[in-house]
Amino acid sequence: MALLELQNITAGYDKNVILKDLDFQVEKGELVSLLGSSGCGKTTTLRLIAGFSTPMAGKFIFDGKDYTQVPLNKRNFGFVFQSYALFPHMTVFDNVAFGLKMRKVPQDQMKKEVMDMLATVDLDGFENRFPKEMSGGQRQRVALARALVIKPDLLLLDEPLSNLDAKLRVKMRVEIRRLQQKFGFTAIYVTHDQEECFAISDKVAIMNHGVIEQMDSPSVIYNHPKTEFIARFVGFENFMDIRKTDTKGVYLLPDDSRIAVEGGEEGEGRKACIRPEDIAIVPPGGSAPNPLAGEVMVSTFLGKRNQYNVRTAIGEFEVSTDQESVYKIGDQVTLSLAPGKIILL
Amino acid sequence: MLEKKTNIYWLFILPGCLFLAFFMLIPLFSLLFKTFFDEGGGFSMANYFALLESTYFKQVFWRSIRLSLTSTAVCAVLGFPTAYYISKYSRNKGVLMALAVFPMFTSPVIRSFSWMVILGKKGIVNDLLVKSGLIAKPISLLYNEFSMVVGFIQLFLPLMILSLIGIMDNISEDLNLAAGSLGASRLGAFRHVVLPLSIPGLVTGSVLVFTGCLTAYTTPQLLGGTDTRVLATMIYQQAMSLGDWTQASVVAVVMIVVTVAVSSVINGVSRKLNPTI
Repeated sequence: MALLELQNITAGYDKNVILKDLDFQVEKGELVSLLGSSGCGKTTTLRLIAGFSTPMAGKFIFDGKDYTQVPLNKRNFGFVFQSYALFPHMTVFDNVAFGLKMRKVPQDQMKKEVMDMLATVDLDGFENRFPKEMSGGQRQRVALARALVIKPDLLLLDEPLSNLDAKLRVKMRVEIRRLQQKFGFTAIYVTHDQEECFAISDKVAIMNHGVIEQMDSPSVIYNHPKTEFIARFVGFENFMDIRKTDTKGVYLLPDDSRIAVEGGEEGEGRKACIRPEDIAIVPPGGSAPNPLAGEVMVSTFLGKRNQYNVRTAIGEFEVSTDQESVYKIGDQVTLSLAPGKIILL
Repeated sequence: MLEKKTNIYWLFILPGCLFLAFFMLIPLFSLLFKTFFDEGGGFSMANYFALLESTYFKQVFWRSIRLSLTSTAVCAVLGFPTAYYISKYSRNKGVLMALAVFPMFTSPVIRSFSWMVILGKKGIVNDLLVKSGLIAKPISLLYNEFSMVVGFIQLFLPLMILSLIGIMDNISEDLNLAAGSLGASRLGAFRHVVLPLSIPGLVTGSVLVFTGCLTAYTTPQLLGGTDTRVLATMIYQQAMSLGDWTQASVVAVVMIVVTVAVSSVINGVSRKLNPTI
């Protein structure tokens, strides 16, 4: 049984419904990311799990118990805020000790646990500093230490790295993953950064308009998106309307030409997509699979690669190649769509 | 021309400074100056010793301090929850803030007259008390320390509320939620987070209310009686009724010293409570 289960959750404020009939499950020890653009409901979901708000309808089951109405201070979940939310009037030590103080942990034990936790996040010697005397990355580690020192049953992270610069972000996400594997805690991680969440998560749930469109491991999502939204999200730029034929793996394009698709689950058979990198530009008249004739509309030099926008009979395609030959605007070219890279939606 | 740093912008504040110097600082200091000389023209603190030994002055002095402190404390107690509600929970913040400062739109004279109507022997308060049977005969609620404190509170509560709202608006709700997620109850989060972080506002508000009460003239003049003079009304009495400008100036100096002293004590205490201010 899942450690955490949201059942038919509907949430929002006033008449604004943000989550509608949301179902979501997390297994013990997993790090699950909620990924989506702003306004998709990912933060609302996280705050609901934390107990910052209660749902309009639905149930939240945690460890077999109904947590829907349990107040936030009785949940024993750690929360890491985007803004860090460190107490500005307390030292690093007092910030980290706060949760233990609320739990009335004896002084000696509290001191030891706080110092151990500060050592774990590499902040020995910082215990007497105030948050404003620290850098963004250090504050983030204080926030992590504060949430972890209470040995939470669940760690919730709300875009914890979005206020850091790119280099530090990569360092910190490795750090978070390391801590998660060291302590084996279950965590839910909200982000809008695809690379970040693929790097850190066991599973990714991609949200759109208050529903989870797909929840799978990062590699499954990357290679086998289930919906057009997710396909676009993970870098599929080219979409084609298709129709089924009697032959398996062969489909008809809108101009009645045939296209071969290898592998992949058969979706509803109405739409297919392919990444720009999986389209090659081939000499005309060759025997390349799935040829499509077109004209170069836009040519962009991207350093290692060249990107072309090519107009064909069935619409415009974005192509990204590392071929050496460069095509100019107006050149007639033939595209070849790799059959194994075409995803059916 | 850029590397040449000729800062002429101080000229902008010159007119204001000159105005203050001529019409406030010079008259004020010339008045204060005189208090340090005896009748013969030699330097002396005699004026101060005489005043400090006077029983009447001591009475007035301690009454002023007491009334100001009481009013400040009551303003803090009334203002804190009000400000907290307006800052964190209200939906019509603008309207509530306008209501909070509404008393400031009328003059202290009119406000004091309203209190005379309300607190008088035939006012609503006495009416209600008699009708409810709590007292047999109307009691005297006017021209005493009680009516002065009531007047002060109405006069200065808006300052306390505004100072607190200014600070509370900057306390992120995330801090409250963080405290909650770490196991603090609502009261615990309030005590450990909101209260200490509100102290700067409480300090500003208290200093404003205290100095306001100590220096207020209209309210104690209209709502106080002859037995309840305070420093401000005593200065008026000395200067205008008795024509003793030196004595009035001495009282004024004492008032300024007390105001500055109390403000710095309040500041010092708050620094102890919240070291990050």
